[in-house]
Amino acid sequence: MNGEPIIRAHGVGLRLGEQEILRDLDFEIARGEVVAVVGPSGSGKSSLLRGLNYLTPFTSGEVEIAGHRLLPGLSEGRDAELLRSVRTKVGMVFQSFHLFPHLSALANVVEAPQRVLGLPHAEARQRAEELFARVGLSAYADAYPHTLSGGQQQRVAIARALAMRPAALLLDEPTSALDPRLRGEVLSVIADLAGAGQTMIIVTHEIPFARRVAHRALVLVGGSIIESGTAEEIFERPRSEETRRFLGDG
Amino acid sequence: MGGKLRRALRRTCSSVFVCGLLAGAVLASHGATLERVRESGVLRWGGDVQGGEPYAFQDPADGDRLIGFEVEIADALARRLGVHAEFVQNDWLTLVPSLERGNVDIVMNGLEITPARRGRVAFTRPYYRFRETLVVRRGDTSIHALADLNGRRVGTLGGSQAHEMLRATPGVEIALYEGVDEPYADLEQGRIDAVLLDHIIAERYGLSRPELAKASDVGEGVYAIAVRPADASLLAAIDAALGGMIADGEIERILKRWKLWSEEQLRLGEGVADVAGPAPARVLDRPQLWLFARATAVTVAISSLAMAVAVAGGLLLSLARRYGGRPLRFAAGVYVEVFRGTPVLLQLYVLYFGLAPVLRLDAFTAAVLGLGLNYAAYEAELYRAGLEAVPVGQTEAALALGMSRRQALRRVVLPQALRVALPGIANDFIALLKDSSLVSVITVVELTKQMTITAVDVRSWLVPGALCAILYLALSYPLSLFARRLERRLVPVPK
Repeated sequence: MNGEPIIRAHGVGLRLGEQEILRDLDFEIARGEVVAVVGPSGSGKSSLLRGLNYLTPFTSGEVEIAGHRLLPGLSEGRDAELLRSVRTKVGMVFQSFHLFPHLSALANVVEAPQRVLGLPHAEARQRAEELFARVGLSAYADAYPHTLSGGQQQRVAIARALAMRPAALLLDEPTSALDPRLRGEVLSVIADLAGAGQTMIIVTHEIPFARRVAHRALVLVGGSIIESGTAEEIFERPRSEETRRFLGDG
Repeated sequence: MGGKLRRALRRTCSSVFVCGLLAGAVLASHGATLERVRESGVLRWGGDVQGGEPYAFQDPADGDRLIGFEVEIADALARRLGVHAEFVQNDWLTLVPSLERGNVDIVMNGLEITPARRGRVAFTRPYYRFRETLVVRRGDTSIHALADLNGRRVGTLGGSQAHEMLRATPGVEIALYEGVDEPYADLEQGRIDAVLLDHIIAERYGLSRPELAKASDVGEGVYAIAVRPADASLLAAIDAALGGMIADGEIERILKRWKLWSEEQLRLGEGVADVAGPAPARVLDRPQLWLFARATAVTVAISSLAMAVAVAGGLLLSLARRYGGRPLRFAAGVYVEVFRGTPVLLQLYVLYFGLAPVLRLDAFTAAVLGLGLNYAAYEAELYRAGLEAVPVGQTEAALALGMSRRQALRRVVLPQALRVALPGIANDFIALLKDSSLVSVITVVELTKQMTITAVDVRSWLVPGALCAILYLALSYPLSLFARRLERRLVPVPK
């Protein structure tokens, strides 16, 4: 953690018709930092994450990310080049994995480095194999996603995101779709990444895990950040009544 | 593997068996028809209204009524037999099999006495004497006689005496039509070099076109009424009635009313020399099998190329419908509804004959395009369903990895959508293979058409029909096996 910001959000808001999903968010994420985003269901945590790589375009404010600037109203067609640059630098891990079912686990990981970064196949493959070793799935490289357990699939999905060597990794409730007994294997992979200095924003309900791994935490309620601070501050000595209530529930 | 092969064989055999049953029914023989006709008071006569004016056709003023010189002859004959005539519509090519089946008592519809037919039915005395007229484009001085047709493409009606004559002429490429107007339309368009047909047809449908001219009459023939060979008493009764009509001038009055009378009709009793047709084949000999092989190749070529058109077209249409802007979506929707909602036969007619003045496609191209454009509509709906079956998370995951929308579509969404659509695609290919028989209406000789031609030649529908069925199965069955294997291999088992 050297304090150099990789992501900077200024007054980011998201309005869908009448509904205000996010309002006036300001935050910075520094290189090497692990930030947990917590809050009750429907508070806008996923929208915040998806706003950062523009899968869900925000409607006000701006985001600076890995040297690029995102504004409201960008188009997938017209601004394809900008969005592509941002997305190659920001990896995403989804709650329900979204592995490509028609490709083997290894091909899932090789695909983007080869097609998007233009790496030679051999190099992309080597990169994928290293990542499989790192997430403990070397034996499953040739398996198809549907033959893998949920925990294994999510580890492949993490490898797939890491294969792009992203400056930051966005994890959207990475263990929520898993049986409790499978969560550990995914959480330990994430903890390893944190230990290795990977910048991450993790939306999670796993409070003890967040407490252990995250450097900082944002508490999102009703689309607003009601509290932010070090993980210790937020989870041990929450200032806000709402945070206390939420943590008590969790 | 052995079990699979046995199953395949069993299936093939049962199909052939069914074909055999159907064909066997043709051979059902009928005896005392004259008695039955007298008892019921009805003489059923077979003809094809598609033969058109002036034979037997729908009255333009009253669609329920048939008129024509043959209608009047049939009525007069029936009257003389003390019964009334009832017309039975039948495809011209299957008039004789229909007579053999007992669907009709007699056949009268410009049916020429040919050696081939004489082996199958009994003919009454002739009721009309005609000439075979060769029609060419005005100004074409290269064609005067049959011998000049070497290397030329010549149109006629399948199964007619003119067809026999062309088959006996060396070097002629024959284009077969089912209607009397289309060959002359194609001659005008330059798709064929000449048309050989009975002068009645030539004068009404050919020479009425200012750009066409008569080259010469190259033969003659007679129309007569066909009865089943076993019906000797019916034959005698009709001969007697016809003789009466000739003697008392009723035939002459009818023919004059239809402007068909000529001096040569006075020689009706004389008969004509047999036309030089090819020797009738008794069994499927080597040349026949060669024709079948060629027709099979045509069927395969047309089906495969049409399927390629359909897949490419369907893909574009489905993408337009799912991802296009409003005008594109609308246009693709209209295309699908129009091509799916109208008969492919109609589309083939329009493409080949209807558009000919502005877009002159040769028959093969028109067949491929017609079938392909039609099936593209079905493919489009199939792929659209496939595209919709791919979860939106797949596109998001691809975009999140930095893929362009195009890459996401090509590398992630389409492969999954096509897997969903695959069983339907195989199904459509098999359906297309069979629908390709429709292109015979635009003069392409494919497998089914070859079967009907050969059936007339060898005077049996049984063997050519069975051979045709086996060939279709030999094409479609491996296809469905292949599709099933592909499906098992490619489609991941759902969670």
